[in-house]
Amino acid sequence: MNTIIETKGLNYRYGTQDAVRNLDLTVPQGSIFALLGPNGAGKTTTLKTLMNIIEPSAGEAFVLGVPTKRLGAAEFQRIGYVSENQEMPDWMTVGAFLAYCRPFYPGWDEDFCSRLAKQFQLPLDRKLKHLSRGMKMKAALLSSLAYRPQLLVLDEPFSGLDPLARDEFISGMLALVDEADWTLLISSHDIEEVERLVDWVGFLERGNLRVCEPVAKLQERFRRIEVALDTPPAPNAPPPLPHADWLDISLIAHSLSFVESRFHPAGIEVKVRQVYPHAREIQSSPMTLREIFVALARSPLPTAPALN
Amino acid sequence: MLPFQLHFKPGQTVYGQVVYAAKKAVVAGLLRPGDRFPSVRQLSQELKINPNTAHKVVAALIEEGLLEVLPGIGTVIAKSHAPSRAETRELLSNEVERLVVEALNLSLELEDVTSAITQTWQRITKKKS
Repeated sequence: MNTIIETKGLNYRYGTQDAVRNLDLTVPQGSIFALLGPNGAGKTTTLKTLMNIIEPSAGEAFVLGVPTKRLGAAEFQRIGYVSENQEMPDWMTVGAFLAYCRPFYPGWDEDFCSRLAKQFQLPLDRKLKHLSRGMKMKAALLSSLAYRPQLLVLDEPFSGLDPLARDEFISGMLALVDEADWTLLISSHDIEEVERLVDWVGFLERGNLRVCEPVAKLQERFRRIEVALDTPPAPNAPPPLPHADWLDISLIAHSLSFVESRFHPAGIEVKVRQVYPHAREIQSSPMTLREIFVALARSPLPTAPALN
Repeated sequence: MLPFQLHFKPGQTVYGQVVYAAKKAVVAGLLRPGDRFPSVRQLSQELKINPNTAHKVVAALIEEGLLEVLPGIGTVIAKSHAPSRAETRELLSNEVERLVVEALNLSLELEDVTSAITQTWQRITKKKS
């Protein structure tokens, strides 16, 4: 597995607060990677360090194999970056803006650019400041797609977009699919809008990276477990010590429910009976990404770093 | 536009749902032998799904003989392909599983379910003829 982005112990401090804490992030080449997490979790800060817009307080980050502090024109010609609050020369028309960007990129593909402009229904003669938010985001995306970047980084690209604009935006960024080993890194607070799109996820929560792995692997190891107990534990007895792999445990009368974070179909029964010998029936059901992240967010940080 | 409809349901894999939709379209005659099948990029863009998943879907359907690659033309529904009994049966597996779970929830016996199916079957096929 080739990595296109890698951070080691990345830290970013605002005043006395760690916005991002000890981040070990790996984005494999060729993946569609979603950096997910609630607002204020540190997603934008992370992406800004990766794009060398801000410098990390500690730790290292590499993009395309180059330390972020040394990223230059040669690398940025292979990277597309669009953020939610993209600054754009508002006084320019869409056409003038694209013409202005073109000379910076030797790989600019004019045919591809006009095809996308048509697909996005962008009015080339309108000034950027007169565009709707959706149109403006599409113009920003177009200016970052036209040179067929090897790595596309999108920071909360869908926020404030209506469903139609969002669909067009997604189709647009997938126009690069034919490129070999093309990588997309996208941050979002809305899991559902990227769930079917991504094959790798990182989940940031209050500056900590709780998971960073392939979606398939994550969904394989997480299960909601429901157990029917023959006899409930005595009400005044101390509750049995749960297994370290279990999250979000609730026990009401005969019904025990928890999230298993290292599920194995052959081992679950033994594991449950070690703690609850009176388990009668054990059922496991797969979880959506949202359910997994809710379970993680509800549970305290593990002492060990993110599992991998 | 895709030659088949697909509304994603939560809790099932995207891959499984797309493969199912494509097979159903062929069995139902929406896609006939020789018809073009969408490319990986089209599938990905139209369904907003991961291109690797789209690629896996197309590869699996080629492997199963449902699709064939014609050089210079693209991927089409295979001429020789007649859906096998196993394939058509597999299309029902989700529904069957749901039925069995419902029946178990209602504490029905296997005979109750089979006799209900037989009755419904007879009622519908009698009406048809």
